[in-house]
Amino acid sequence: MSAREEILTRVRKALADREAHAHPGDFGSWQAEPSGSIVPAFMEAFTSTGGEVVRVADEAQAGAWLREFSADFSGTAIGDGVPMALRPPLAAAPPAAADLGVSMATSGVAETGSLVLGARDGRRTQLLPPTHVVFLHTSDTVATLKEALNAMKGTLPSAIGLHSGPSKSADIGQVLVRGVHGPGRVIAVLIGADQ
Amino acid sequence: MSMRVALFATCLGDSFFADSVADAVRLLRHLGAEVHYPEGQTCCGQPAFNSGHMDEARRAAMHTVRTFDGADYVVLPSGSCAGMLRQMYPSLLGEPAAPLAERTFELAQFITQVLGVQDLGDGLQGRHIAYHHGCHALRELGIEDEPVSLLSRAGASVTDWEADQECCGFGGLFSVKIPEVSVAMADRKLDSLPEVDFITSADGGCLMQMSGRARRRKAAVRFRHLASVLWEATGRGSNPTAGAAL
Amino acid sequence: MSDPRPADYATAAAATLRDTPEVRTAITAATRTFDAHRRAAYAQVAAEEWRTWMEGVKNHLLTHLADYLEQAEEQLTRNGVHVHWAGTGDEALAALGDVVDAHGVGGVVKAKSMLTEELGVNAFLEQRGVRVRETDLGEYIIQLLGEPPSHIVGPAIHRSLEDCQALFHRELGTSPDATPDELAGAARDALRSDFLSADLGISGGNFLVAESGTVALIENEGNIRLSTSVPPVHVAFVGIEKLLPRFEDLSGFLQLTSRAATGQAIGTYVSLIQGPRRADESDGPTEVHVILVDNGRSSLLADDTAWEALRCVRCGACLNVCPVYRQTGGHAYGWAYSGPIGAILAPGLLGLENAMPLPHASSLCGACEDVCPVRIPFTDILLHWRHQAVERGLASTTEGLAMRAFAGLTERPRLYGAAARALRHLPIEVGGSALPVLRNWTAERELPKPSVRRFAQLWKDGIA
Repeated sequence: MSAREEILTRVRKALADREAHAHPGDFGSWQAEPSGSIVPAFMEAFTSTGGEVVRVADEAQAGAWLREFSADFSGTAIGDGVPMALRPPLAAAPPAAADLGVSMATSGVAETGSLVLGARDGRRTQLLPPTHVVFLHTSDTVATLKEALNAMKGTLPSAIGLHSGPSKSADIGQVLVRGVHGPGRVIAVLIGADQ
Repeated sequence: MSMRVALFATCLGDSFFADSVADAVRLLRHLGAEVHYPEGQTCCGQPAFNSGHMDEARRAAMHTVRTFDGADYVVLPSGSCAGMLRQMYPSLLGEPAAPLAERTFELAQFITQVLGVQDLGDGLQGRHIAYHHGCHALRELGIEDEPVSLLSRAGASVTDWEADQECCGFGGLFSVKIPEVSVAMADRKLDSLPEVDFITSADGGCLMQMSGRARRRKAAVRFRHLASVLWEATGRGSNPTAGAAL
Repeated sequence: MSDPRPADYATAAAATLRDTPEVRTAITAATRTFDAHRRAAYAQVAAEEWRTWMEGVKNHLLTHLADYLEQAEEQLTRNGVHVHWAGTGDEALAALGDVVDAHGVGGVVKAKSMLTEELGVNAFLEQRGVRVRETDLGEYIIQLLGEPPSHIVGPAIHRSLEDCQALFHRELGTSPDATPDELAGAARDALRSDFLSADLGISGGNFLVAESGTVALIENEGNIRLSTSVPPVHVAFVGIEKLLPRFEDLSGFLQLTSRAATGQAIGTYVSLIQGPRRADESDGPTEVHVILVDNGRSSLLADDTAWEALRCVRCGACLNVCPVYRQTGGHAYGWAYSGPIGAILAPGLLGLENAMPLPHASSLCGACEDVCPVRIPFTDILLHWRHQAVERGLASTTEGLAMRAFAGLTERPRLYGAAARALRHLPIEVGGSALPVLRNWTAERELPKPSVRRFAQLWKDGIA
């Protein structure tokens, strides 16, 4: 018998007399309904962990903001998912050398303050540069993580990252430090009006 | 029509806190209960149960069930022994234990929940007390506010104590099986304690553990069993050092 | 992990308290902080209902485990993941060895994984001449120190800032009074090249979703995302109990596990990995392996009481609230899992005879049950293992004899009373030095003095 068969046999035998439990189904609500609209809730959650937020009306403004912001950086890595309109002429660098990374989020989750980043965008760009700018259309924000997961279920890339603030650790003497491996600074640029 | 209460003194109560168990009798009578003491009582069986000796635990438990058969209420000056009867006897003995389990109460629990008494008097005016929440009373029996409320409504100030709900390290035989850790747990309780007149608790085991360690450390803090303190709260108790765990 | 040594718990605990009292101080402070954060995070949500829901999902998963394992394998395979089944620790290591050989792996970056501690993955790789670099900052610190982890979530909480300053000064050349930021920066720089040059990334798995074949990983630093994205090959070790039925179940589990572990609404980075990189993706591993590990879990599943321990999501909340754990930290327990969860898993995963006395490393205070996000009944399981130990002859003969004598007394009130009277005449000083049980008390505590008269006597004499 293969290890697979042995394990499955042992598991089935272990459960032979065990009462089966039904899945409890969906859980109603995790917390009090967020008051107000989704975008302010997202902003509050995202900034509470040390993330930064910038609001712009449209892609034109977003591109202009990025050009100005990136002027202080020597090299920018841009994720494949970032549309051309949001890539003003910037000094390019590979992710391992860039000091600024730019990504396009596929969605944002208000209840956890999370940016949903897909592998198609390019993971190195999302992780290696110490400062990370992430564009997010406000129309892509949802209230709950459950909604976000259900929306992406049918079209999963090889990997998804939920980024909910800057990289941090308290492993050194219980003191909080930022930017240990991932970016120490993450800025969500929200494009569009409140939802 | 007075309430008939069967008193279960418990091993530690019988041998080490006899004066406090006597104060429990006085208190219950003062509150209108008729107190009986079934003389066949011995031990609830907890030491055997907690060490995994289930057959021996069952024997002690069956004896206890027989001894208290027919009692309207069984009251214990001990959170851990009351917890044993209420929570553990049903799983240990099944149906035979159900009647006893339902009618068993720890002393403060009985006073507040069954007798409905919230105010005992003002006999504790000006006392600064720390209350140690024994784990069984707190987590098995769900007793949290009742003893503190009885104490403070009798005039005591019950101090904020960071570690008040943390285990003192007794745990029955744990105290001698893993002694160094047990002592470190007692030290945590003592080191975090603010200045008080005395510490009180519903469990003799906890009091022995903490006072035993305190005396070895030559700490001045005193320990008194809750039953004696509640009796003093009525203003009828005359000996403020009664129930001191030695 | 080298040979587990739970048998040494009592002496190891005593040695820690005696020789390195600063460990107790550090662990107490760290765990109190973690627990305070957890308490605040639970208070923000409908925690009781949430815990009940998570308990229900895991009970459903475990009682249908074989079906879900098969579904997970099917999905993983469809996603292009290589699935390995490992009944034992040796089989798990052998599967890893095959991947190492197939790719000529010289350097590995590792994400923190308790399962890989349990299996001894690092020692296995090092023996084969493979360079292993732990990338989680806490794991990196203890790797440099040559120590095992002291806590499930914070492996280095037993070490102070001063310890880290001295360590990094020695190993990385930072200044002896470097700030935490400077130390973290030095670690980041040192590990950056490891990420970029490693041949293989190894992780565990917080959850494996059967419906989608997703391996879910939670972290705060970013080292797990890097370890599972940059190297060309990724191997994930997943215990068979870590499955979840549905993709959307992740919502509840990611959030409450984070709240229970560190008080966060969600971990800073969550990786949801479906498989190797696709044609339209610019990076990611080209090969992904999942090693499904039994290593005693199926035998634990067979135990009608202890199987509930398999709901564990490894959040560490029980450690953070355990008054026994916080006196010594994790090393005294002698194997990968410590605190309450270690005490109830050990007999199942190591065998009861190898796990003793861990089921007794508890005062049964029950604080762990109050906080566990999946409502594991710790007290019932500890009592169960203690009972099993007696049944299997693992308890001391003296204790057995004493208990039988004791039971006899409890059934005979007159004998019981005579024994209680005799107790007060026991020469305590002689007794204190003669009886080991009493010595264990009197070494550091005064004995209680018996009441002048027993209560039974007071009652007879009349209570005024």
